Amino acid sequence: MLQEAFLIALWAGITGIDQFNILLHIHRPIITGPVVGLILGDFQTGLAAGATLELVWMGMAPLAGAQPPNVVIGGIVGTVFAILSGQDPKTAVSVAVPFAVAAQGAITLLFTAYSPLMHKADEYAKEARHKATDMLNLSGMVALFVFNFVVAFLPVYFGADAAKAMVDVIPATLLDGLSVAGGMMPALGFAMLLSIMLKKEYVAFLLVGFVVVTYFDLTLVGTAIIGAAIALYDYYSNNSNGNNQTPKKEAKTNGI
Amino acid sequence: MASNNQQEQGEITKTELWKMIFRSLFLQSSFNYERMQAGGWLYSLMPALKKVHKKKDELSAAMKRHLEFFNTHPFLITPVLGIIAAMEEKKEDPQMIRSIKVALMGPLGGIGDALLWMTLLPITAGIGVSLAKQGNASGPIVFFLLFNAVHLVLRVGGMFYGYYTGVQALKKLKAGAKAISRAASILGVTVIGGLIASYISLSLKLNINVEGNKINVQKEVLDKILPNMLPLAYTLLLYYLIKKGYSPLKLVGITVCIGVIGKYIGLL
Repeated sequence: MLQEAFLIALWAGITGIDQFNILLHIHRPIITGPVVGLILGDFQTGLAAGATLELVWMGMAPLAGAQPPNVVIGGIVGTVFAILSGQDPKTAVSVAVPFAVAAQGAITLLFTAYSPLMHKADEYAKEARHKATDMLNLSGMVALFVFNFVVAFLPVYFGADAAKAMVDVIPATLLDGLSVAGGMMPALGFAMLLSIMLKKEYVAFLLVGFVVVTYFDLTLVGTAIIGAAIALYDYYSNNSNGNNQTPKKEAKTNGI
Repeated sequence: MASNNQQEQGEITKTELWKMIFRSLFLQSSFNYERMQAGGWLYSLMPALKKVHKKKDELSAAMKRHLEFFNTHPFLITPVLGIIAAMEEKKEDPQMIRSIKVALMGPLGGIGDALLWMTLLPITAGIGVSLAKQGNASGPIVFFLLFNAVHLVLRVGGMFYGYYTGVQALKKLKAGAKAISRAASILGVTVIGGLIASYISLSLKLNINVEGNKINVQKEVLDKILPNMLPLAYTLLLYYLIKKGYSPLKLVGITVCIGVIGKYIGLL
């Protein structure tokens, strides 16, 4: 079993990377199911389980950064239990859920932990060290691989009950708290942008954008169109009034 | 199709565009809640930045501004890369580059979610599932090929489309850079206002007892005054603290503490 568990964990690690990078979508249950089936020597059951689990996760999509239950671990561990226990895949997925939740918790942790690393990137940028910022970006994939490898390996090798006990050691309040902090964190990104972009005369437009989304549930496309409408009006009324200031000297080096 | 016949050495060629297409696959490698895809965005744009900014201080300034908050749909990243690369090549005003980037990322993120996650994925996976349900091993293969045909066409085509459109558009923009930059800032700031209302999740879980009735503070009080009040207030607080000279790193720490403690005491 060690060999199979290792291969499945390896596949989970690779597809865990695919969930956020490269994105060929080999991490979807429709593909991971038959692959796990091949590893465990029961291709047909893997194929059927993968198809059922795909339907379970269909429509659960990562929207605006919010993550649904982890599809990689749900699909892989669900298929493993469907094959090993001979259960209906839909029943097997309920066994896989604690691990899908644990994987999601680990990813939340990773996405929070990477916030401070951005400030390391700022330091590299100060000295134009682009090889260092490149490596910093790519390093995130190592953590994704390791998380998914471990969370898939435990239940396959030790069995669901023993592995669940290991996963339960992680305090749930801490993970929930980090997830709350993760939801708040974009505020810092926007605050930093505003500290550079916002001038007194632009405050009005910030309010317009905020209000149309808050009160009218306008999409960002609609918000951008409103912004563009105001921008066009501003641009042409400035031009026709003839009070269009000349560009600053240092702004242009290759005169148009 | 050379964009610029100048003698300038820093000219973006197809080589850079292909490098950016390849690198765009790793847009989310260092995804994080504070700046989302910023690290991957810089990584993806790097071939163009290296080519057009030969001086170390110019490159450094460009790297810093491209480490600011960024988030869009990971398939629709390449048109943004193309347009921004064309602007960097022309050494446009940084404020304008920033505004255009912000103005594009929000809408494209929304379009991509609707078109790709909610439409392409269910359709192609649905076809694969219907085949696999009949025990047909081609199910996963059909899904893989259909899905990635659209994925890769968008990724590759978007890069070239974005870059050449950007180059053409910049040629036409002859009017004062100041007025364009101002218009772009208005657009950018409007979108940020929308992003604050849609991307930040922060709400109170607190209930209070008033004459025996349980009242949810968020729903019954705050939302009645101004929905999304807390995301706006927290952004403005952080903005104020940044202007006060607080280091962003310290603010990450403060945010994590508020989240964990707030959850622990049942406030958030």
